[in-house]
Amino acid sequence: MIPGIADPIRFILDFAVLFAVYSILSISLNLEYGYTGIPNFGKVLFFAGGAFVVGSLTARLAMPLAGISFNPEKFCTENVKLTYMVSQFFAANPHIAIALFLLLILLAVGVSALLGYLASYPAIRLREDYLGITLLAAGELVRIIARNYEPIVCGTLGISVPNPFAWLSGRTQDLMYIAVMFTAAIGIWIYTERLSRSPYGRMLRALRDNELAAEALGKCGVSIRMQTLVLGSAMAGLAGALYAYYTGAVYADDYVPIRTFLVWVMVIIGGAGNNSGAALGALIYVFMDRMIGQYKYYVPVPFDINYLSYIILGVVLIAMLMYRPGGILPEKPSKTIDFEKIAARFRKNLSAREA
Amino acid sequence: MIRPDMLVDAVIFSNLLALMSIGLALTYMTLKVPNFAHGDFVALGAYASYSLFALAGLNAYLGLPLAFLVSGGVALLLYVAVFKPLNKRGASIVAMMIASIALEVILRSAMHIYADIMTTATPPDIFFRGFIVPEPFALQLGSIRLSGLLIGSSLLVAGLVLGLHFALSKTRFGVAMRAAIENPSLASTLGVNVSLVYAVSWFLAGGLAGIAGALLPIKLPCSPETGWDFLLRIFAASILGGFESIYGAVLGGYIIGFAEVLGAYLLAQPPLCLSTAYRPAIPFIILIATLLIAPRGLTSVNWREVVQRLGIRSSLRVRRESL
Repeated sequence: MIPGIADPIRFILDFAVLFAVYSILSISLNLEYGYTGIPNFGKVLFFAGGAFVVGSLTARLAMPLAGISFNPEKFCTENVKLTYMVSQFFAANPHIAIALFLLLILLAVGVSALLGYLASYPAIRLREDYLGITLLAAGELVRIIARNYEPIVCGTLGISVPNPFAWLSGRTQDLMYIAVMFTAAIGIWIYTERLSRSPYGRMLRALRDNELAAEALGKCGVSIRMQTLVLGSAMAGLAGALYAYYTGAVYADDYVPIRTFLVWVMVIIGGAGNNSGAALGALIYVFMDRMIGQYKYYVPVPFDINYLSYIILGVVLIAMLMYRPGGILPEKPSKTIDFEKIAARFRKNLSAREA
Repeated sequence: MIRPDMLVDAVIFSNLLALMSIGLALTYMTLKVPNFAHGDFVALGAYASYSLFALAGLNAYLGLPLAFLVSGGVALLLYVAVFKPLNKRGASIVAMMIASIALEVILRSAMHIYADIMTTATPPDIFFRGFIVPEPFALQLGSIRLSGLLIGSSLLVAGLVLGLHFALSKTRFGVAMRAAIENPSLASTLGVNVSLVYAVSWFLAGGLAGIAGALLPIKLPCSPETGWDFLLRIFAASILGGFESIYGAVLGGYIIGFAEVLGAYLLAQPPLCLSTAYRPAIPFIILIATLLIAPRGLTSVNWREVVQRLGIRSSLRVRRESL
């Protein structure tokens, strides 16, 4: 195995789960930017939306069901203990654990979709730059509110998330996590792929390539962009909820704008307008991130090596934009019948009629 | 109650914001792309002048030319090495915005690395994160002590607006600059060197942000994240001012500056008692309100028409009431 890794199975597990979460994010950004051309610079907002719903509500909803009494004033300082008690309750009642898990995932998706609508509403009718600035600002604002307003995720203390699979033991639990994450990621991938090949997907690309022409054919640019943003935000909310469950804790300061940048790096490097490209970008990034996390203490430099990795990613991103704007796997032409075939059939019909 | 020292703070803060917003307007005018790395020019200026102050023990105001050159030089480099080639290759607005975000991350990370290295290389009593600089001089008028920064920054903004107004309307280069901004292809057929004009715009924009950054540590503790923290305010001020006007940028800077300093104080008072940590929400709310009511900024609003409409309505109301 790779040297320096104490627990290879844990390493692979972390890798797989992070890859699943990031590929949901990069595919949702690909839907927004790659297919529709929306500059969503507030991706972290919708990711955080899902995570905050799961973080703030899981324990609070489960405690009355479990009959755990608590003092709401002290919820934040005691939440690690309370969360542990809820996890014990989940271990004894799998059906409630699963029902709450599914309910909260749905709620997280809904809240993120709503955030997508609200955050884009002021600027969706304006030029792309205004929309980008507004989304970026909204993402930063929500983090500031979450960090300072304790009732959401306990401010700077952070909040623990009960383990929804506490009723499984050891490795089975890990396998369950992987199964859930990959089901979600593959589901999103298939959905986006089918969507992009449907008439709706062609309409999105038409809007991206020439908005005026698409509007002349009766497609409303504003409402389509809004729908796409809401859909992409809902997917990001799903990723955020799964991430919160897996990491077992939600800290407001974990949802910094650099995450938005990383998702953009994945999409641009992998290939905008191509779901496989977006997933490949996520794979490349997660691999790099895990390697740095594993080996950063072996490299003797007087600064945090993560900053160096951001610089490298930034340079690679700009180089890609200049020399290979399509990414590693560029967008493919849409799968329609070959023009020659159509022309041949047309000619045949024409000659048959003449004869 | 609002005390005079709060007004002094508000004026200084507004002056610095105006300096930053003028720079953003200068770069936005050229390529019509909002530069997300503009905040980092501010932080770069702060680091350049602070390094001179902390390592050589010079007066903080002596760092201003260095800050101007460093930030301006970096801005010029970004234009020549990134934005100009991207523009030539026909990159979309969104692609150039992504590039500017990447540059923002690169500059911020580079400053983090610089701060890390300097912290280990210098004695522990010199800080490279969260540093401040003492006020270099103050005016004593009888019993009133006037902050030197108040006078200096106000003179700087006033001189700059007058100077830019003169340069853009009276000099050959200024007229060429306006022509190149208005219609690049027509200007270049008439012999204007458009890319030189744009390069000067970028250098000036970075330099002004650098000067604002060099003055910032006198008022606020600075760190590599300072640029990012100021970015939202700069955008709010610029959009409020109409994004493409120098006077609009000053106006926007003043409105945001006063709203933030006085608003944060008023929100912390008894009826609401909010933490000052919510201060960044104030420019955001102004930004949203601008986008909803007058998305092209205050300078685009036809005030005469607004007044006329309001006037007609009020006169109608008067007539109805008299009937």
